[in-house]
Amino acid sequence: MDRTFTNFLALVLAVFLGITVDVTAQRRGTNGTGNANGNKVAAPAPLKVTLPLKKDSVRFVLIGDTGTGTDQQQQLADLLLRSRQSFPFEFVLMVGDNLYGGEKPADYKSKFEDVYRPLIDQQVKFYAALGNHDEPAQRFYEHFNMEGKEYYRFTSGNVAFYALNSNYMDKKQVDWLQSELAKDRSEWKIAFFHHPPYSSGGKHGSDTSLRKVVEPIFVQHNVNVVLAGHEHFYERIKPQKGIFYFISGAGGKLRRGDVKKGSPLTAKAYDQDMSFMLVEISKDSMYFQVLSRTGQTVDSGVLPRQQSQRAAVQ
Amino acid sequence: MKTIKAINKVALSLFGTLALLLASSSVISSFEVRAQGPVQTKPTLTEHEKHLFSTFDRLVKDYLEQRKTVAGKLPKLSKEAKPEEIEAYQKKFVEQLQAMRAGTKPGYIFRPEFTTYVRETIQTEFPPRDKAEIKQTILEAENKAVPLKINYPYPESQELSQIPPTLLLKLPTLPKEVKFRFVGRHLLLVDTDNGLIVDYTLNALP
Repeated sequence: MDRTFTNFLALVLAVFLGITVDVTAQRRGTNGTGNANGNKVAAPAPLKVTLPLKKDSVRFVLIGDTGTGTDQQQQLADLLLRSRQSFPFEFVLMVGDNLYGGEKPADYKSKFEDVYRPLIDQQVKFYAALGNHDEPAQRFYEHFNMEGKEYYRFTSGNVAFYALNSNYMDKKQVDWLQSELAKDRSEWKIAFFHHPPYSSGGKHGSDTSLRKVVEPIFVQHNVNVVLAGHEHFYERIKPQKGIFYFISGAGGKLRRGDVKKGSPLTAKAYDQDMSFMLVEISKDSMYFQVLSRTGQTVDSGVLPRQQSQRAAVQ
Repeated sequence: MKTIKAINKVALSLFGTLALLLASSSVISSFEVRAQGPVQTKPTLTEHEKHLFSTFDRLVKDYLEQRKTVAGKLPKLSKEAKPEEIEAYQKKFVEQLQAMRAGTKPGYIFRPEFTTYVRETIQTEFPPRDKAEIKQTILEAENKAVPLKINYPYPESQELSQIPPTLLLKLPTLPKEVKFRFVGRHLLLVDTDNGLIVDYTLNALP
C-alpha cells in the first residue's frame, strides 16, 4: 500500500466521521486580515490551490448569492480569477440569487458582467440556478447557459449536473427530475439549486419542505452531492442518507456569525468572510477546497464516490 | 523510510476502523441509505375538488389563449439573449397584455371556492409543525412592496417567495407560462416570462 493511497484512506475516514479535513494546514502562508464590513483588505497571501489537478478531471467552481455588485463581490471575483492561474477550472456553478434588486440591463452589467468579465473572456462558462431574488426570465440570459429552462441537466466528463429551481418545485419539475435521474448512467450525479435541504443557519435553516420532496428522489437515484446557497456562509454538512451536502452562499453577501454553534449537522462551517469553493472530480474521488475572500483555505478534503462505498458495504 | 512505514501502519489501522464502522450501519446513522420512495405528488381528489380544479384549469387556459395571441406577434426571445433583449421583450409583452386585458377584475381566475380550498388544504393537510414552517417560509419573503393590482408587473426588485414544495404539490399543476406566488398572505397568479400579475386573491394563507 503506497503512501498516496494511505493518505487517501486517512482522508476518506476523516470525512466519513465528519472531522474537518485540512490538507493544506501545514502549507498555509500568512493570511490577509480584511473583513466583509470594511473596504480595506490586506494584500492577499499567495494562493495555495491544493487540488491534485489530475489528468482528465472535471474542474469547476461553486459560488452563490453573488449578485450585489459590491466591492466585496468584486474582491472575491478577483480571487476567483487568480485561483484559475493554478487551478484551470472549466466552468462555474451559480446556486442562485444571481441578481439582487433590479434586473435591468445595467444590473446584469454591474452585478455580473463587469464583475466576472475576465473569466467570461477566458471562455469560462457559468451555469446558473434560480434563487428567490431571480426572475425566471434570467433563463434566457446568454451567460447563464440555461437554454431557456428553469431546470436543466448538463454533463462534463463522468459527471451529470442537475440545476433545479427550488423556488418552484412543482410536479412537473419533480417528474422531470425522477425521469432524468432514472436513466442517468453517469458515475457522478450532482444537484445544485438555491435552498439548502440541510443547514445550520440561524436566519433560514434547513428547508424541510424541499427536503421532503427531493431527498427521497436523490437517495433512490444515487445522487452523490447536493450544492446549495441561500445562506450567506459556507457549510459542509455531515453526510445525510449517504449524500454529501454543501452550502456556498457567500459569494456576494455575508451573514457573519449566522451558523449555529454546536449544530449536529455541521462538519465544517465558515461565516466570517465571503467564500467560494473549488471542486475537482477524478474517477471515484471529489476533491474540494474552499477559499475565503482573503485567500485563506477554510476547508478542504476529498470525498469518495458513494456508489462504490455502498457496494463495499454490501 | 521509517516515517513512511509509520504512516502506512496508521493508515491501515484507520482503514480497519473504517471497515468496522461501515459494517455496522447503526454506528454511523448518517450513512444509512434507506429505501424510501418519493413523496406522494398526486393528491387524491374528491369530486368537489375535481370540479374545482377543472374550472380553475379552464380559466387559466383562457388566459393562456390571450397570452398566445400576444406572444405570437412578438419576436421570439433567444435562449442566449442579451439583457436589453430580455427587457424589451418583457416590456412589449406586458404592454400588449395590459391592453388586451384592460378591465379584467380580480377573482376572474381565483374564484372564492378555490381560495377556500387553498386555505383548507393548508389548515388540514399538514401537521402543526409543517404548517408553521410553510407560513414562516412564505411570510419571511421581502416582497411587501408588490402592488396587489391585476395587470401590473410584479416589481423585479421584490423577492419571489418560495412556495414550499409540499404545499405546491397539493395545488393544481400549472402550465409553465404561469406560477403561483405569495405576497404576504395573498396568493397571486403571475406570468413566468413577463411578471404580469394575472390575478390575485386575498388571505389564501390562513
